Amino acid sequence: MPKRFCSVLQDPPQSRKCPAERPMASKSSLLKVILLGDGGVGKSSLMNRYVTNKFDTHLFHTIGVEFLNKDLEVDGRLVTMQIWDTAGQERFRSLRTPFYRGSDCCLLTFSVDDSQSFLNLANWKKEFIYYADVKEPESFPFVVLGNKLDVAERQVGAEEAQQWCRDNGNHPYFETSAKDSTNVAAAFEEAVRRVLAAEDRAEHLIPTDTVNLHRKPRSSASCC
Amino acid sequence: MAEAATPDPRWCCYFFLYDGSKVKEEGDPTSAGICYFYPTETAADQQDLLCGQLAGVCRCVSELSCSPVRLLRLRRRKFAVCTRGDFLWALGCAVDIPDISIHGFLEQLIGLFCFYNGPVRESYQLRSKEELAAQWGKYLSHLQGGATELHHIFSSLRTIDSTHIDPLLLLKAALILQACQRCPLVLAGCILYCGRVVSTQMPPDLTAKVLVHETEAYSQDLANGVTPTESNVTSIPVFLTPSELHALRCPPVDWACRSHCLPLQANHTKKSRLSREHYDPCFSPSPSLSVFGDAPFSQDHSGSCDQVLANGTLQPSMQERSGAQEQDEEILGAPLPAPPLKGENGEDCESHDNGHQGGGGDSDGSKRQDGCGEQGQPANEEPGNQTGPQGPRQRSDEEQLEKIDRQEPNDNKGGSEEDGGRKGEEMGRNTEHRLSGTGVRGVCSEESQNNERIQGGKTPPYTPALGALPPPLVAMALYQHRVRGLVLALLVEPNFQSDAAAMEEVHYSSLASLNGLEAHLRSTTAGTPGPPGGYTFAHHDCLQNTLTSENPVRPLACVTMRVSSRLTVTCAAAAVSRVACALRRPRALTSALTSLIAAAARVSARSQPVWGAGGPLERSFVRATSLLHSHFSQAVTLQEAIVRNAGSAVYGTRSTAQETYFLQQGATVRNSGVPNPQDSAFSLPSKARHRLLKHGVNLL
Repeated sequence: MPKRFCSVLQDPPQSRKCPAERPMASKSSLLKVILLGDGGVGKSSLMNRYVTNKFDTHLFHTIGVEFLNKDLEVDGRLVTMQIWDTAGQERFRSLRTPFYRGSDCCLLTFSVDDSQSFLNLANWKKEFIYYADVKEPESFPFVVLGNKLDVAERQVGAEEAQQWCRDNGNHPYFETSAKDSTNVAAAFEEAVRRVLAAEDRAEHLIPTDTVNLHRKPRSSASCC
Repeated sequence: MAEAATPDPRWCCYFFLYDGSKVKEEGDPTSAGICYFYPTETAADQQDLLCGQLAGVCRCVSELSCSPVRLLRLRRRKFAVCTRGDFLWALGCAVDIPDISIHGFLEQLIGLFCFYNGPVRESYQLRSKEELAAQWGKYLSHLQGGATELHHIFSSLRTIDSTHIDPLLLLKAALILQACQRCPLVLAGCILYCGRVVSTQMPPDLTAKVLVHETEAYSQDLANGVTPTESNVTSIPVFLTPSELHALRCPPVDWACRSHCLPLQANHTKKSRLSREHYDPCFSPSPSLSVFGDAPFSQDHSGSCDQVLANGTLQPSMQERSGAQEQDEEILGAPLPAPPLKGENGEDCESHDNGHQGGGGDSDGSKRQDGCGEQGQPANEEPGNQTGPQGPRQRSDEEQLEKIDRQEPNDNKGGSEEDGGRKGEEMGRNTEHRLSGTGVRGVCSEESQNNERIQGGKTPPYTPALGALPPPLVAMALYQHRVRGLVLALLVEPNFQSDAAAMEEVHYSSLASLNGLEAHLRSTTAGTPGPPGGYTFAHHDCLQNTLTSENPVRPLACVTMRVSSRLTVTCAAAAVSRVACALRRPRALTSALTSLIAAAARVSARSQPVWGAGGPLERSFVRATSLLHSHFSQAVTLQEAIVRNAGSAVYGTRSTAQETYFLQQGATVRNSGVPNPQDSAFSLPSKARHRLLKHGVNLL
């Protein structure tokens, strides 16, 4: 089944209400992108670097979720990316998980100077798929980010990370540094590309999907 | 506010602001002095009549008695009165509303006006009556609407129902506020959701003021059908009293060096800000300090406070104002027991207390910070000297009321004052001053039953000068960042608005978190009320001025009261109820008993439930709570009381930090008519202790 199908079914009312910062021109113009990963790997810093181009060394743990909107143009298409930053600590799990639903893309983040955060990527992926209720995990766009590239002592090699990405669904991999702004914009833009590509694929496969699925109750009634 | 509770007309039958300076000559029409009259549709001649008569009575009585009028009790109405200079405000309400509540209402109203419009005199010079009338109307409707009757009784803040949201979200809100304070131009802030307080760094009375603007904006949006989707930022000028400002500016760092005086200050605070420190860093005890003698003042303060005050211009005004202002509020404050004071200055307090029967329930606790500040100073010096330091203060009209108060009991005070002065000098003049001040204040107000009685405190004589200058207000700005129903409100220095970098920093550092917090709060369901526990309660936190309650259920018809401890007296009131009283001190017994009986009679004689919205059951619980609250505010020694009818009983208990009211439903009542150990009502205290624990209310 194409991705569009999943997206329509799994869109909870919440996900379409949340992107509220600005009026939506069309449904596809607002993309919900969610950052997941262990506490302290730099998810909030990545978001802040990308949206406000600021880096704050004194950020406190994120509690629950936060989000910022960013307008951008990718390959000639204007989109509003709504970046959801989540709390990495286990104790905040119940606060963050309700907000997974409706995500169009998931950015799995680890820190290259913390091997445990890399090992936990699989758990994060699993948690996301479960709580976001992703119907087609194989085709869902994930992007993997290895943050803190600026730190001297690496514990996770680039090759190792790329291997993991290949083995787990061929996700794109970016090494970033929120501190010195390396690769941050590229990573987010790639996320947008993946979403758009997935949507295009979906439209290509079932041209009339949106209409049919939206009116599902009516059409089923007519069937009977 | 989404909830559209209809205003209870009993809370404000009449309200007016009268400017005495406009009516000096024989030929001056009364109407010239009426700045605002509510209800606005009242016929002009009736307005004249009421304003003229009330203003005349107030002036006459205060001149004769050398003390300001705070309350005029008529047969069916009573009027809370406030005079500042030539201005006189009067708020008329039903007689069964507690004095303390109606005074709180009036003070809030005046405070709101000054907060948003600046000094009254200047406002009326710069702007038209009509324009300002709209403001008064707005504040009146805000204060009357929205909250429950219980909130009105305690003048408490409307807070979000924290029982149904994750406490981590409260932490999140607090962290957002802290992050904003990294900008030095931000004094303090609060976060509101749908017109309710989520987290605040400000003192409760200031939070309440900020709430008005937000609530109004929010309801306007709702009314216009506008969904406030876009986050937006606004900034409006506001005016703080020097004491408020001082409290905000004074850095928490200073606590360490002041720790010795904290316990005391706590006792002086209006809403008994007893141990505020632990809760709200911004609510430092500084106000009281600011009004102490100059020497201790400068000693105590360092850092930003000093800077603020260093120029010398602000300092006198602060002293002046904080004294005046707080004092004013304080009279209405919740009563606090005297014992803590005695601990440190036993004799003084005692002697004052003896001098003033009735124990000045409201005042003593109420005289907290500024009262004590003001008086600390006199204590500091020989009466003769006082003209110096006190000179500037005399201009402040509110102060003046204070001063008037202090006149009568001079005789009583002389000794203690000298005493205090001496000790002060010997010991570095800090604590002692405060103490003697408090002692004094502690005594002075008991305005309950006597119609126009004003409290007398003891102080050196001052001439009550009409026409005193209004206390100076400091212009600041209120920055608001709205994300749908969520609002971040910050009190900022006026130049914040012109500082683009600072604004941007604050905006971006909080934007993501506000978005997230809003999403969290929106997705939090109202929560189903737990299984009915067969009881009902209301819990007022005097420190944060918040109220926790659960819906009441059953009707009460009459009253029996019991007060803890040594002495027990039983008597019948109005053939319906019985009053059993035991008071710590026999001295206070007579008056307390009299008022209890009178109250019992009033309640029982009333055939119809009177209190606001809700069923008769709720109304009765509220009524009982109101009654008890009123008595707690008047009798400082009263700690526990039970109000009952044949089927149920409401238990009330209070400490300096809290007041709690508890109703057990469906309890088998073995009411023999006289207090006896088997009486089921007497098991209420232990039931309340156990049941309320799970609501976070600790009565142990």
